[in-house]
Amino acid sequence: MSVEITDTTCNAFRGLTAKDLDDGTVHRFIVGQDTVMTAFTADEAKAELGDPFATQLLLAGTFPRTAGDVLEALKAANPPMADPMFFVLGDGSQIPFTPETANVERSMRFLTALGHGPEGADVLISAFHPDETDVELMGWDRTRGGFNYYRTVGESTGWVFAGNSRHALTDPTQGKGPFESHLSGTLVMKELRSPWINWHSPAVNILPSAFSAEDPLRDHPWFTGKEPGGALTCETAVARPAIQRWARHRFAGIAAVGGKVDDPERILRQIVTMPSVNIITSHNVSADAPSAEAVEIPQTFFIDSSLAEVAGLNPPPPFNVTGTIYGQALETFDVTLSDGNDFSSPGDTHFAFCVPERAFEDQALLAEAVAAGLITPRLAACLLMTDFANPVFSTRRAQLLGPVPASAQITDGASSFSEEMANAILASAETSDDGSAARAAREFAARWNIGEDFKQAFDAELKAYFDAVAAKLATQEGFDSFVRLAEAHRNIVRGRRIAESPLLFATSNIEPVERTMNADGTVTEAA
Amino acid sequence: MAFFERFETPGKVRDLPEAGLGAWNATVQAVFTEYLEDHPQFADPTASDLVDAATVPITWSAFPARLLRDATSDDQRWKQADGTRDEQDEYCEWSVERDGDGFITRVTFTSEVPEYWEHVAAQDREKLLALYREFVDEDTQEAELFDGDSYLRENPRNALQDGRVAHMIQGSNKLGAAVDLVARATILRERNGKPQTDPQSLVRCGGLGNELRNSDPQIAAAVNNAAAAGDVITLANPPGLYIDRLLITGIVAPDDANPAEFWHIERGEPGHVVRAAFEVTGDHDYRVGDLEIAGRKIAFGAQLADRVHVRATALIAPADHKPVSQPCKPRP
Repeated sequence: MSVEITDTTCNAFRGLTAKDLDDGTVHRFIVGQDTVMTAFTADEAKAELGDPFATQLLLAGTFPRTAGDVLEALKAANPPMADPMFFVLGDGSQIPFTPETANVERSMRFLTALGHGPEGADVLISAFHPDETDVELMGWDRTRGGFNYYRTVGESTGWVFAGNSRHALTDPTQGKGPFESHLSGTLVMKELRSPWINWHSPAVNILPSAFSAEDPLRDHPWFTGKEPGGALTCETAVARPAIQRWARHRFAGIAAVGGKVDDPERILRQIVTMPSVNIITSHNVSADAPSAEAVEIPQTFFIDSSLAEVAGLNPPPPFNVTGTIYGQALETFDVTLSDGNDFSSPGDTHFAFCVPERAFEDQALLAEAVAAGLITPRLAACLLMTDFANPVFSTRRAQLLGPVPASAQITDGASSFSEEMANAILASAETSDDGSAARAAREFAARWNIGEDFKQAFDAELKAYFDAVAAKLATQEGFDSFVRLAEAHRNIVRGRRIAESPLLFATSNIEPVERTMNADGTVTEAA
Repeated sequence: MAFFERFETPGKVRDLPEAGLGAWNATVQAVFTEYLEDHPQFADPTASDLVDAATVPITWSAFPARLLRDATSDDQRWKQADGTRDEQDEYCEWSVERDGDGFITRVTFTSEVPEYWEHVAAQDREKLLALYREFVDEDTQEAELFDGDSYLRENPRNALQDGRVAHMIQGSNKLGAAVDLVARATILRERNGKPQTDPQSLVRCGGLGNELRNSDPQIAAAVNNAAAAGDVITLANPPGLYIDRLLITGIVAPDDANPAEFWHIERGEPGHVVRAAFEVTGDHDYRVGDLEIAGRKIAFGAQLADRVHVRATALIAPADHKPVSQPCKPRP
């Protein structure tokens, strides 16, 4: 119990063993805040934990050991939590189990959701195996709001409370422990949109053949009883509601204190920089793509969809490349799917052109910020149009975060914050400095100064960009430049916590250097 | 010995007297029979015993997957899907009613196949007119539904995207198309010696429809997977396409009422729903357009279609066929 842990990553919990926990006890270990795990007293646990997992099980003296035990205990609780939804995913889930692929680490795992009120599931259980003791759990705190994060350690029936969503937003806990991957404090379904690569879904099924013939998971009720709609249902009924629930709660908290926003920079950071990403792919199956007339390339590789959804600009056209060009690129760049060990297969991920896009948790926060009146569509448009050709990982756009006002006030659904923010950026644009921050500010200023009727001008800029992209996609050379850019984006993701498996992306012979897109559709490679 | 005596009407609706029900059975039998000779792993369950057969539900989203492909914005795809029934190709169609302020007051979903309504028209014109007057518009006139003796699927009362639908009209949304898909998906496919089992690849290789829809690849993959095991496959009774459920989670009413109470089953027995509507009823002072889904007001029927699941149910009987894979069909 007294072991000291200074690691502040997700791996901090690996420093714990079952011996460090008391069976039948809730412990607290919030990485970044605690270096030593402590056992909650009954009063402390009651004061801190208001989610159904805690109130109906832990605080009532029930300490399940496995994910399956948690489910059964919640179904038997008073009141019971019925109708669980089972979802299955795995980065190697489309690799059939054969003697040659027997050792591939497919990262198969289950997400189980319980409690389906209008606001979403109240308990989310994540486990690699329903009958094993390695369990992570999120429960919506009905008293304080936000998700409470729990996990097991080894064979102990003790549970560790690892923090609440609010800990993701402030020092010293933000970005640490579970919040290294749950960056804004909410559910992560990184393959959120169709075709949901890696998930069992209507787009592609996870078949029993992904398991060995002897694997009992083939016939386990969590697998055989998985939601037929798979990721589609998870996105619609679990992930989006969970993400929006937390975003709404954040702004409800602001309203509850009279509309005072203490740290607008934390909100702006999610909008302007890309702390988190989703993973999106073409809808084309890569194995068939070289013979297809057209291979769809995700539009959000080229543009942030929030410009259309929040700022009201015209959406981009579909982007396609011929199957011949796509197939040639696979050969040119020696694209190979590999688990980093013995498994290697020529070609791309199951669905073609797997790349990061802006995370939905950041889009949802922007939408809430606009709905609450903190940010105007004009400010959102001008921020996101800065370096618009790089919807993800834009260092130029991130420079706009320098002069964020220290606080903001929302009154009757409106705020002067957007004007103040814009004025601060305009002021920094007027310096004689020609550094990257000043250049970003001047780009912002040029668009801000167009005024409230910005739509036509911005749409014209985007149309020229979309036309340039489409022209590049029509040539091998142009598409190859986008493949190199995509690989640069993947390399950034590979360095992040959400990249849990080498099978997330295919490998290539592309040199790992930074690359950026230009508004004329060309790609610049770092020297 | 037959697995069941006769094909029931979709949803087991009872619009017609016994003779009409028998005639429907004969109509469907004719559709199934067409495929038996060339598809040994496909069966007519009214003519085959199908020992130990089990039902396998196959579900998908009512929102057209093709439109997900080309849209970055939800507004863009919702507007496109609501704009014309021609886009609604997932064996489920819907229409939207609005009030004078443009707020949605009701969204009607149907998975009723046109063949059945043609059958009713042929059996009993008065009944057909009564159905239109009950479910579509009480002012419907018989002359609007027919061109001479021919029933018009896309008649002026049914071909709209506003108002209330009667049955499906999109070109792919037919019982015959579903039977055709199931029968032809019993044939295993291979490309360059590699089995084609991925849903999209299978549909593309076998020429089984549109690989970018939700429905065709799902149905084809499930059937083909059973065929690979040597099983015999057909459609469960009553053969048809069904509205499986509406996902309620994330739909929020202004007064926190349970939105499930606004989902009204209008045709089809439980488990075989062929018509349902989302409409605020009871003592609530608001409209459908005042509810929110995932934080946004319901401004499109397609927002609900995102959450409507459609289902076909396969009937799979263990057998010992030894299917041989066929090469991909040339693409037209």
